[in-house]
Amino acid sequence: MKSNRLIRNPIAMTGITIIGLYLLVILVSTFWLPFDPVDMDIDHLLEGPSLATGHLFGTDEFGRDILSRIMKGTSISLIISIAATALGAIVGTTMGTWAGYLGGRWDHALMRVADVMFSFPSLLLAIFIMAILGEKTYNVVIAIGIVYIPQFARISRGAILTIKSSEFIKAARSNGASSTFILRKHLLPNILVPLIVQISLSLSVAILLESSLSFLGLGVQPPAPSWGNMLSSARKVMVLAPWTAIYPGLAIVFLVLGFNLLGDGLRDILDPRLRNVR
Amino acid sequence: MSEESILRVEGLVTQFSTDRGLVKAVDGISFTLHRGETLGIVGESGSGKSVTNLSILRLVQSPPGNIAAGKVLFQGQDLLQASEEDVRLLRGKNISMIFQDPLTSLNPVLKVSIQIAEAIQLHHGLRRKAAKAKAVEMMKLIGIPDAERRADDYPHQFSGGMRQRIMIAMALSCNPDILIADEPTTALDVTIQAQILELIKNLSAKDRTAVILITHDLGVVAGMCDTVCVMYAGRIVERAPVDELFYDPKHPYTRGLLDSIPSVDLSGPDRLYSIPGAPPNLIDMPDACPFAPRCSSVMEVCTKAMPPETVLDAATARSVRCWLHTKEIKNA
Amino acid sequence: MGKYIATRLLSLIPVLFGVSLIVFFLVRLIPGSALEMYMGTQVEATPEQMVELQRLFGEDKPVVVLYVEWLGRILKGDFGYSLRTGRAVLPDIISRLPLSLELTVISLILALAIGIPQGILSSLRKNPVSDVLNRIAGLLGLSLPQFWLASLMVLAFSNTQGWIPMGNYIKFTDDPLRNLRMMILPSLSIGIGLSAVIMRYTRNSMLEVLQMDYIRTAKAKGLAKRIVIIRHALKNAILPVITVAGFNTGYLLGGAIVIEEVFALPGMGRLALYAIYQRDYPVIQAIVLVIATLFVIVNLLTDIIYSLVDPRIRLDNGARHA
Repeated sequence: MKSNRLIRNPIAMTGITIIGLYLLVILVSTFWLPFDPVDMDIDHLLEGPSLATGHLFGTDEFGRDILSRIMKGTSISLIISIAATALGAIVGTTMGTWAGYLGGRWDHALMRVADVMFSFPSLLLAIFIMAILGEKTYNVVIAIGIVYIPQFARISRGAILTIKSSEFIKAARSNGASSTFILRKHLLPNILVPLIVQISLSLSVAILLESSLSFLGLGVQPPAPSWGNMLSSARKVMVLAPWTAIYPGLAIVFLVLGFNLLGDGLRDILDPRLRNVR
Repeated sequence: MSEESILRVEGLVTQFSTDRGLVKAVDGISFTLHRGETLGIVGESGSGKSVTNLSILRLVQSPPGNIAAGKVLFQGQDLLQASEEDVRLLRGKNISMIFQDPLTSLNPVLKVSIQIAEAIQLHHGLRRKAAKAKAVEMMKLIGIPDAERRADDYPHQFSGGMRQRIMIAMALSCNPDILIADEPTTALDVTIQAQILELIKNLSAKDRTAVILITHDLGVVAGMCDTVCVMYAGRIVERAPVDELFYDPKHPYTRGLLDSIPSVDLSGPDRLYSIPGAPPNLIDMPDACPFAPRCSSVMEVCTKAMPPETVLDAATARSVRCWLHTKEIKNA
Repeated sequence: MGKYIATRLLSLIPVLFGVSLIVFFLVRLIPGSALEMYMGTQVEATPEQMVELQRLFGEDKPVVVLYVEWLGRILKGDFGYSLRTGRAVLPDIISRLPLSLELTVISLILALAIGIPQGILSSLRKNPVSDVLNRIAGLLGLSLPQFWLASLMVLAFSNTQGWIPMGNYIKFTDDPLRNLRMMILPSLSIGIGLSAVIMRYTRNSMLEVLQMDYIRTAKAKGLAKRIVIIRHALKNAILPVITVAGFNTGYLLGGAIVIEEVFALPGMGRLALYAIYQRDYPVIQAIVLVIATLFVIVNLLTDIIYSLVDPRIRLDNGARHA
């Protein structure tokens, strides 16, 4: 029944379609790319899109094919996004669940730490962490992951707290259920809903964070193509060659849109309160 | 009771489209309300009593609800055919409604004086200060102590009983012809219930306001109503003046309801009586009496066709929708 | 009410304390010490000179002591001196505050002016097709990377004078009109995305509120649709929007890093960014601390405003009367 509702939700399906297209691009790009992303074609520097040269999205100032770089960048961005979200989700949820369940001092301590981490704008915090760790691509995963930990901790803790004192938990206890049983059968399924929605939204924000970091030179390092650093180097030449700025940006927009649509659609489907609202 | 009739509902059908099918919440309701009369509508949850009243004022959420058929005649107009504007002009002015849960039915961020004065401003064309003064008067009338000061308070600062009084003040501030009270005391303590009902009774007697009182509590019916309609599965199954209903219930469901009232002199091994079975699923109802599965006097014909409404006494509008009584008449 | 504000203010202290701890110790984790930066690669020093330099740079003391000393100086208003320019940090930060503030305020105004009406309208729409399209459009607004929008704007306006600051920032106090012209594009880059957020929150909030019983009561009174929506529905629905707007305001004060970079605006975010690029530790410590503190304070102000607007919280000490 759940999957039926998923299919009937146009917003979620559009999101899934878009993400699917990107996954397809990743699959294809492992075997074939129109051009080598780092190959500099000196005869065709900063040329606009044309079918004749085969550079469908044009070339950049080094003569590299933009389409190929965008395709390669898809894997990089998506992998970083998924890994960072997974890191934040796993660590954050574990911390939040235990804090919520145990309560008392642990809960207080965790909330203080989360509050402090929340005092920093995410991008600033990520930049900061990158400065500490060093500007390597894999550090981007750690930086974004750390930024996400407090968010996931807060969500899972909130969900646990709402359920913990609710009536049906008391009922289960009065029937003799043990703590782990309660945790498994009652609490965990209830945090799944906000968690799933948050994960899909975090995936979209991770793409934006990663490209912002790369744009600032603190993320994926050239010559590896990230949409962010492509846009950064495009700044110098975009007045002459607007395609260098337009296409990588579009790539970001649609992938982020895909995740946002999915997250929104999932929220529609999974949130019982809003179910009857059109 | 030859009062003029003030409202006539004929053949009202209201349905809801849900994921699982079409729910006929109200399936052919007809009744007449007279000036000054208090009409009780009794039934379990899901019997369609609330939906009936929302339909009268066209307050049913649509989608998913939809008034499919019927007429609601008021002052020569069929409210179901009238324009939205025309119906809106009647709401709060000629026909008022109060709801079950006064906490959620009052706006938490508006002062109560504003909530009462709004209707007065709208329907009597008074300016803000004059309307507020009248609102405070209303509050005093319904028994809120220290009304002047309390007028600037918010709903959450009042107790449940007080909040319901405020709702009543809102509804009666414009002297409507009809007051529809949807389970006004269900959410309140028993001691407060009596006060609220008393209040409704007095206020409506003052202006000869007709009242439609919806409830599942037969005790309330006994104390307040002149006439009673018993609803089951979206239909009126019995209709009678209140005394006759209690002393001579005709429909098995009504009898079941009366039997279910715990009696003080219940003693020894006697168990509490409850009607066996559960309310029916209102989707795809077969053409049969909806109470048949739970009826102790069920006959074969009950499972084959819906019984027609049999009028037992036209003068008092006494009627029942049951094959038992149709036969009786046939065999009389 | 006063008690509420006081308790919230008090709760700030541990948070700010924690923030200062994190800022100080994290900065120390950045590879390369201040001393190394100062020395660079060219300068050689004798062991005696090294000891002296280490004493000057405070590297001979345990780190906890250094923290306490730093905190002490901060509380007295001494935020240290930039390694690069040698200037005092605090005046630099303060001089950049008006710009960040202006950028934040204009972006917020744009976002609210676009987002709230759109959110209300979209919550009232009954046509399912246009509803879906509207939601996708809203999510699209959320998906636009700010730096891309900003870059496109720079691209589009590169030939037109006066729309892009690009290093020639003119202060509001000097020439309001030219200043506003320069701030429009950066504010739009932020405002478009922010308006999408506001629109979604408004829409969702309105949808929830419109389902409430008190809306039904308002209709039953015969009130006109406009009054029901604005006086009854919106007043309730706006509450979560206040929270989200406040949160984003705090974020923008220090988080508009990328916009400031693209438009070359001398704001606080850009200062933080370049301080980190250049490993200017005193500046990093100071600016990050200021940004985080502002964020916390703005959030507190938002909470206070919220509690003033929502009578249920404001009058929580009202006892239940009979």
